[in-house]
Amino acid sequence: MTNPFATRFTRPGVLASRDAGGEPVDVDGMLRRFDGLGGAAVIVGPHGSGKSTLLAHLAAAIERRGGPVARHRVRGWRDVPPLWGTLWRTPPGGVLCVDSWECLRPPARVLVRLAARLRGCRLLVTAHQPVGVPVLARCRPSLPLLHALVAELLGRAEACGGAEAVERAAIGPADIAAAFRNHGGDLRESLYELYDRFEASGQGPGVGGPVLTGMTIVPAAGGKFTNTTPVFLPQAHQTAS
Amino acid sequence: MIGVPAGERGQGVPRVEMQFDLPHRQHEPRGELGVRYRIEGCEGETIRAVEHSVLWYTEGKGEEDLGVHFFQRIADRGLLPPTATSGAFSTPLPQSPLSYEGVIVKVRWCVRVRIFFEGGRDFVSEHVFTLGRIPPGRPPGPQPAAEVRR
Repeated sequence: MTNPFATRFTRPGVLASRDAGGEPVDVDGMLRRFDGLGGAAVIVGPHGSGKSTLLAHLAAAIERRGGPVARHRVRGWRDVPPLWGTLWRTPPGGVLCVDSWECLRPPARVLVRLAARLRGCRLLVTAHQPVGVPVLARCRPSLPLLHALVAELLGRAEACGGAEAVERAAIGPADIAAAFRNHGGDLRESLYELYDRFEASGQGPGVGGPVLTGMTIVPAAGGKFTNTTPVFLPQAHQTAS
Repeated sequence: MIGVPAGERGQGVPRVEMQFDLPHRQHEPRGELGVRYRIEGCEGETIRAVEHSVLWYTEGKGEEDLGVHFFQRIADRGLLPPTATSGAFSTPLPQSPLSYEGVIVKVRWCVRVRIFFEGGRDFVSEHVFTLGRIPPGRPPGPQPAAEVRR
């Protein structure tokens, strides 16, 4: 049985981007704001608040309207040379999306911004705090937001044939609230805890049942993958027991 | 079989009927995987290309991984009827990684058929099978009394 809280269903860009109230973000409207902000903008928020997800959706929206986009995730100073290469490959007029901008040291940030400007590229980055560029959005985790994400995940699972498994797992409001509380509002960690609860509920290994797949399906602008639609396989995934 | 809508542009939703040579989709390492498929539900649309792949991927918490074991693209118009198609392919399977239903991570093998239509949209169908016979992992529970040490 597939665990609907597995990373492949929760990674940035798979789930809808939602605000603190759990309502879907108007990505196109936000993109228009980005257009009005000039050469660079930042999405600000704490760990696990949805910054990377919003960045992924914005990047996909830019691609849908035909704009060149390059993506880069920074984890430390070792990522500076590849980031430089990514920037160099971003065509003029393109958007360089950088996740975890704060992992760059200030001199590197200045250099990348300068180089992007010289190349005629725009920068869209995520950070935990404002970093000296206009703030496009502030992501704030909340319990209603986590509820909405869980509802989306379980709803997909149910719609694709996993209703019985979801019912047996019985992930309820108390589980969601406990996960949110246990991780101080970090949505990513909260979803991981719900993954564990789902496994512990007996829906995990050896139970059999539908297998949820995370295929990336394209409504095909430019022939690129832009959205991920998980579905349940009706085929029982049998394993030796 | 799965069918995944590829777009919201009014076209029909294709469906790929997949048939594995072995029952229960249970395959052995270094065995032969053979499948036959039929694409339905795309009447009126022209297929530009079809891709076959056999791959494994991980599913669980944390980083993901995948490996493509077999890939084949068919773009010859002579082999692609305009409104419907069917096909078959086979490949020897490797010795590893074996399918595994773990707690933190699962390893899954699947056959994918991806259909590219004229006009840009495409559609992917994914069909899971099992390689090897590794017993599933179990969530951690209370330790047996004999294993409890002071």
